[in-house]
Amino acid sequence: MAKEMAMLHDVARCSACRACMVACKQWHNLPADFSTPFEGQYQSHADLTSKTINLIKMNERVDEKGKFHWDFIKFQCMHCQDPGCLKGCPENAISRLDSGAVVIDEEKCVGCGYCTINCPFNVPRVDPDRNKSTKCDLCFDRIEKGMVPACAKTCTAQAIDFGTIEEMRELARSRLIYVKDQFPNANLYGVEPNGVGGTHMMYILPDKPEVYGLPVDPKTPASINLWKDVIRPIGKIAGVGAAAGIAGLFVLSKIMGKKSN
Amino acid sequence: MMSLRDKFLPRHKKGFILCHWLNGISFLMLFLTALPLYAPEQFGFIYNALGSATLQNMHRFFAVIFIVTPIIGLFIARDGYATLFGQVLSFNKDDMTFLVKFPGELLGRDPKMPKQGFYNGGEKMNIALQMGLWCVLVLSGIVLWLGNGVIDNSIRAWMIPLHSIAAGVGFAAALGHIYLAVGVNPDSLQGMKDGTINADYAKHHHGAWVDELIAEGKIDKKNLMA
Repeated sequence: MAKEMAMLHDVARCSACRACMVACKQWHNLPADFSTPFEGQYQSHADLTSKTINLIKMNERVDEKGKFHWDFIKFQCMHCQDPGCLKGCPENAISRLDSGAVVIDEEKCVGCGYCTINCPFNVPRVDPDRNKSTKCDLCFDRIEKGMVPACAKTCTAQAIDFGTIEEMRELARSRLIYVKDQFPNANLYGVEPNGVGGTHMMYILPDKPEVYGLPVDPKTPASINLWKDVIRPIGKIAGVGAAAGIAGLFVLSKIMGKKSN
Repeated sequence: MMSLRDKFLPRHKKGFILCHWLNGISFLMLFLTALPLYAPEQFGFIYNALGSATLQNMHRFFAVIFIVTPIIGLFIARDGYATLFGQVLSFNKDDMTFLVKFPGELLGRDPKMPKQGFYNGGEKMNIALQMGLWCVLVLSGIVLWLGNGVIDNSIRAWMIPLHSIAAGVGFAAALGHIYLAVGVNPDSLQGMKDGTINADYAKHHHGAWVDELIAEGKIDKKNLMA
């Protein structure tokens, strides 16, 4: 399947039932994750972990007018068009498939965490037991068989849609008009090309991105190009040069030393 | 009659010698344990042999040693570290002259050098550089290691090239440092072992320091020359 796909989370439709989290764990065979102790909060896990790669964030907020809001969002890998993790990986273990899914090859992964550091959304998590980086893989294996990702399949509120990138863009734009009636601040996120080239995970947000903890202007870091394209090759040449230089200097000093004696 | 070659002057104290070893070994181990990440094609075999997690944990272990060494030094080698700072701040015209003439000496010639103090111009330069690199390596390293969720990734991402550059420059300086000690002035190695230095070597390479010692009455000129 070579078609470029995308997922759309209509946050206005989401009821935060967390069925998508369960479906994700089932498909990926991930164990229960007790990393966050229960202290009365609604959000199940404080953050993404190597066992919880899809998380419904639930935030209680009182706006400037004193109105109470309960902000939900399904948070996982954004599957960037220009992924910082892919560029940051020293082992070339991360690739972007034709479907748009950004996936990690665990055979190549060494668990260095450079993918996390270079991710503008801070998504990948290194599994401390296996020392392998983990994140949502957009159920690329299901997509290849013509199925939709597990989370989209299970969503009861039809808040998660999945289809070709054109279909999802179209759907997002058409739905936004209706969402704006109720939420004047509503906006689309990741639908149009942005600092990460656009994302294959798209949102209809009832409020500003920062309300949901999303960066307003995500950017693929320029620093990693400097490291990969300049510092690494120069360092390697310099390393060989230094060894040759020292050997040469040693020989030269012996010859010159003999002459001056 | 004993010649100067058979005499040794006390130069470094035990605590300072220990700190120098700790710093040197931890730096080289940090460089080595990071190498497969920096150049996977050339050094990836180290990961394959020992496991990437082992190497990464070793990197953290030696990082702690690298960080605490100067802090331990404040307690067990206060004089030695004070000398490092004092000497760097006393960089003067003679040190400049030394640096200009040094390549000639390195190539086996014997240019007329001004008398050098406890550290020569090149050593002062290396000390200043290593101090600066220590700060860059430690700060960028801590941000990479412990910064998740505390510092934004747009800043953390810059620590990767910064950390690599500092490590590369530090390693280049270390190569030069080791070459000059082992290959050019093997007499100086004595100072790394028991803290003393050959008097003849000291007179030729740290004349101003020997003069100071004599002026301060710490060594007897007659005895030295006898």
